[in-house]
Amino acid sequence: MGVMDKKFRVVGKGVPVKDAKEKVTGSMKYAVDFTVQGMVHGKILRSPHPHARIRDINTSKAEALPGVYAVLTHKDVPQNDWEAAWFNRRGKVLDGTVRFVGDDVAAVAAKTEEIAERALALIKIDYEILPHVFDMEEAMKPEAPQIRIEGNLRDPYVVAWGNMGEGKDQAEIVADCDILYESQQYAPLGRNACIAEWNGGKVTVWTSSQTPSELRDGIHEALDIPLSKIRVMAMPCGSSFGQWWSVNFMLITVCLARKAGRPVKIELDNEECMVSVKRRHIERTRGRMGCTKDGEIIFAEFDHIIDNGGYGFKDDVGFFCVDMWGKAAHGHYAVHGVNTNLLTAGCMRGVGDCTLGASVERVADTLAEKVGMDPVEFRLKNQIRAGDELRMQHSRSTMKQTMEEYAASIPNELKESWPKLFHLSSGDTRGLLLQGSEKFGWKNRFKEWGKPHTVNGSLRRAVGVGTGAHVCGVEFEGATSAIVRINPDGSVKVHCSVGRQGQGSETTQSQVAAEALGVPFDMVEIETGDTDSCPWSHGSLASNTMYRVGWATRAAAMDARRQLLEVACREFFDSCDPSELDIEDGVIFRKGIERSNVRPTISQVLNVFRSDTLGQTSSITGRPAVPMPPATTFARHFAAHFAEVEVDIESGEIKIIDYLATQDSGTVVNPQVLKNQAIGGAICGAGFAIYEHLVFDPKTGAIKNGNLLDYKLLRAADFPSKAEVLFVESYDPVGPFGARGAGEAPIAAAVSAISQAVYNAIGVRVDIPMTPERVIRALNHF
Amino acid sequence: MKLTLNVNGRNHEIETALDRTLADVLRNELGLIGVRVSCAEGECGSCTIHADGKAVTSCLMLAAQASGKKLLTVEGLGDIEKLHPIQQAFIDEQGFQCAFCTPGFMMSAKAFLEECPNPTEEETAIAMSGNICRCGAYPYIVKAVMKAADQLRQEK
Repeated sequence: MGVMDKKFRVVGKGVPVKDAKEKVTGSMKYAVDFTVQGMVHGKILRSPHPHARIRDINTSKAEALPGVYAVLTHKDVPQNDWEAAWFNRRGKVLDGTVRFVGDDVAAVAAKTEEIAERALALIKIDYEILPHVFDMEEAMKPEAPQIRIEGNLRDPYVVAWGNMGEGKDQAEIVADCDILYESQQYAPLGRNACIAEWNGGKVTVWTSSQTPSELRDGIHEALDIPLSKIRVMAMPCGSSFGQWWSVNFMLITVCLARKAGRPVKIELDNEECMVSVKRRHIERTRGRMGCTKDGEIIFAEFDHIIDNGGYGFKDDVGFFCVDMWGKAAHGHYAVHGVNTNLLTAGCMRGVGDCTLGASVERVADTLAEKVGMDPVEFRLKNQIRAGDELRMQHSRSTMKQTMEEYAASIPNELKESWPKLFHLSSGDTRGLLLQGSEKFGWKNRFKEWGKPHTVNGSLRRAVGVGTGAHVCGVEFEGATSAIVRINPDGSVKVHCSVGRQGQGSETTQSQVAAEALGVPFDMVEIETGDTDSCPWSHGSLASNTMYRVGWATRAAAMDARRQLLEVACREFFDSCDPSELDIEDGVIFRKGIERSNVRPTISQVLNVFRSDTLGQTSSITGRPAVPMPPATTFARHFAAHFAEVEVDIESGEIKIIDYLATQDSGTVVNPQVLKNQAIGGAICGAGFAIYEHLVFDPKTGAIKNGNLLDYKLLRAADFPSKAEVLFVESYDPVGPFGARGAGEAPIAAAVSAISQAVYNAIGVRVDIPMTPERVIRALNHF
Repeated sequence: MKLTLNVNGRNHEIETALDRTLADVLRNELGLIGVRVSCAEGECGSCTIHADGKAVTSCLMLAAQASGKKLLTVEGLGDIEKLHPIQQAFIDEQGFQCAFCTPGFMMSAKAFLEECPNPTEEETAIAMSGNICRCGAYPYIVKAVMKAADQLRQEK
């Protein structure tokens, strides 16, 4: 019997999230709610210039102000580069050069925030103004002001297959695009703070972070102190979407606390956060695809530029749209990362797949229209299916071997349990499109391309469909691990390093452990943020949490279960084989003879008294006993969204009328949690599609709408409350109990579905964000 | 200055500067961390509390202005042992993700349901639009408020 046929006891149940009561009573502690005895307050001085070098900095007046404990400048900070996960930031904590308006210059620790702010004003700086560049295509030129020692431009990240010349010859119909994406701001609700305390050469850091282990590594790189002397205690975040990984303000807090000789807390308010931490990249896609007259895509050729701002260092975006549309025989995708003197850009939820991915979907839509095919049909014909080869070459380039050499290096017993590398292990959009279009009534609601189904005065209503895919975690920065401990009373503690930004990881990881061990959900508690007890993990990014950390949690639980059953066999079951035993509700029994009286509890097994050391195990500690196969080479998660919009062609306003989000994340571990991921992704994507964009001052590059008053976010009345979610559960061979990643495909699908619906309503394409002004301009231009 | 604040049914004597906001005093003097402060400009609604039964954003109010008013924060709405029907409904419908906004939404919902005990889904969505949930739990927030409305009507 495969695991797939097994009835799950805890997995699949919509249990309330573990911290639900804390959340509704307001007792949940985020980092801003945390204090340490004797702590003082820190503030950061921010750059007024887009690009400048500090010639001289005089802190004597600031230091002399009563109540000030320390002033930190680049002269106090080790000149080591540190890297946030996935190159979201690379640079020194402070290095005497500022690279965007709002960049970190210096910091003060003082008795109160007010004194710290007054001290900041007393710091005198002589800046040498350097030439700046804001436009990413200008910044790519060799003669542009160079912002970093490494230069502005990263090597292009290229994925290529087939023969582009042949592809172009064979294509009968071609469509192209040139689309500029403005920058979406994470615009987090809630604030973050960091508290650092040094004690005997060791530092403890409390902050809200999705990547506790990576933050510990960043502090290690920046300060050059042993990892064993750094303890990160990551706390829950407000909405994050990738904002709260490791952020330079956390490193500043650590340095400032060391210099001040006492615990320091720095709290970022919303506005400071929106202009100083990071944002989504500004991106531009130029590309084309060609297909046959019957709608078979032959080639795809895309050139994509991303601006990293001052400190981002990415050379790729997570562009899993390449795999999604990878059936084309010939492909060439190139991504160019470039630095500018704008706020640092980083991985925001759905990175690449709601920009480059939206471009590919739009070109595909144009082809579908030209050949006269329905968008659902066109996707069914051209998108990847489970078992197909993947085009993304990510891992191949890091293997430094041929595939044959690589395969030969994997032990046989492992290889047999692994899925076929570089092929999609499970899931695709087929079930989503078929079941979704049925549920949404697509055939009756989609009239034809560029035509609304209802016209009422100036109002045009139409539907659209969009699809999205994204990875399920990446392995390049290290293997993810977890520890599962069974206590002598039968309770269980999971230690795994993940974020708690509202995606319910504390709950779903606990469900995985409870399922594997056969204990009630309520017997499992979890520690997610303490790097002293949680083994290294990539954390909650790149849709990693359920797939890779969940895999580790299950593997650790199975290891603990094996140890437990070995003791049980020896003491209660006449030294039978452990495989003959099972555990249910914390009770161990021999399979097939359930009515036997021999039914010890876990606690009884762990408390067997023997005079030798084979009894009285104080606790059992499980860890993954085998390595996880490389997820990037076979795992993706998928979403298909169906939207109905109403566009007012006089005002240019877009209203979302109806919505269906379908999702294939493999086995659904917690339907309530996953529904929220799907709809939350849809709403963030809808915001990006119709409103959200940062406005930069053309003279200074400063952000002009860095607050929640001027940066518009969707509200409850802006999205249909009747929106529905449909799951299609394809069972994954590697993920825990068949589950995969979840959070990023939905945002990509939403952008494309709403864009297409607007096109169908008004007959013209509008680049996102489809603000009323842009809708009217597009209509006039047309 | 010295002032007396009546919060969640109890009087508190507080010595505070004139220019401090009510949210600041509730959080930092009285330890009521359920009063969440995000934008501090009255836009996001996460610091919403009740003053004499009306929903107000406590980040825009000075503590001194609250003197003599009956204040209610999420801490006075219910407790872990006995949740208010609105709190239970938010759990049942999972009307939150990160939950930073949740106390504010629940306080807005309470004021709304007192004025409009039998709302339509559309009325509820509009009433909940003074608060921001960046995670995008809106459909489940609306469902939670509708469910709480049902429950509260039954209790009457």
